Amino acid sequence: MNKTFRIVLIGILVSQALALYTIESMIPVPFIAPGAKLGLANLITVISLYILESKRDVFLIIILRLLLSTMFGGNLSTLMYGAAGAILSYYAMILVKTIGKDKISVIGVSASGAFFHNLGQLIVGSIIVENIGVMLYLPILSMAGIGTGIFIGLTSNFIVRHISKLRYFDDIDNRHVT
Amino acid sequence: MFKKWDIITIVFLICLSFIPELVFGIAINRHYNGICAEITVDGKPYKTIALSEHRGDEQIDIKTPYGHNTVEIKDTSIKIIDADCKDKICMRSDFISEPGQIIVCLPHKLMIEIKSTDVVSDSLRC
Repeated sequence: MNKTFRIVLIGILVSQALALYTIESMIPVPFIAPGAKLGLANLITVISLYILESKRDVFLIIILRLLLSTMFGGNLSTLMYGAAGAILSYYAMILVKTIGKDKISVIGVSASGAFFHNLGQLIVGSIIVENIGVMLYLPILSMAGIGTGIFIGLTSNFIVRHISKLRYFDDIDNRHVT
Repeated sequence: MFKKWDIITIVFLICLSFIPELVFGIAINRHYNGICAEITVDGKPYKTIALSEHRGDEQIDIKTPYGHNTVEIKDTSIKIIDADCKDKICMRSDFISEPGQIIVCLPHKLMIEIKSTDVVSDSLRC
């Protein structure tokens, strides 16, 4: 994977994440639980975890996506919630992926990413309102989150399986994909 | 497509999400030390009644330019028992005593809100 290819790939992934974020913000909240979202932008994070060699590049994609999506249609509070959720879920996914190795598939990684995204948001939420009681909302939110996380995992599974056929990605490790 | 460890991870995460419920749920929902009822008329504070140390029955008349309400305080709970507004919806609310509960009499612009001095969000602080 040479330098130009890496830059272009990161650019494409960030722009795809932004497109998904914009589409998602047009969909009215589909759940009873306020704050629950589909988390489509997380699809790109999961895919890039599998197709990029360097973990730092994945982190770069997350940060760029957060900053640009705030510029497109967000404010400081969405940035704070989003950043806490995204960074916590990034570390959780790396942890699960490293520990699980080939025992765990994209679905498990994606579901744990969704869970920790919710956890991060609720931690920031309870710091902002100075009330730990916000955490009691976790079961409802994480049920919805794990549900969408499973579907994001299934989708990523298909995408990674097809991407790995391209010769550019000959060296990626697709033991996790079935 | 699903592997065994995926299922285990998901079940584990679901269990994990109930931990705050177990740890804080019992502690938060029970012991409120300082509870008070704040009566506001037209958004302006009218009277604050300390409820947590209150014992016995007491009735308070609230006369405002909009009308007349009678409030009954029974131990640590509060209710509107009489009002001369035309819809009388406020009288249908039962006794309230938990922080966050409210009784509203819209025609008289009257609101009774239970607040607490404990760890609650700012809008619920006495």
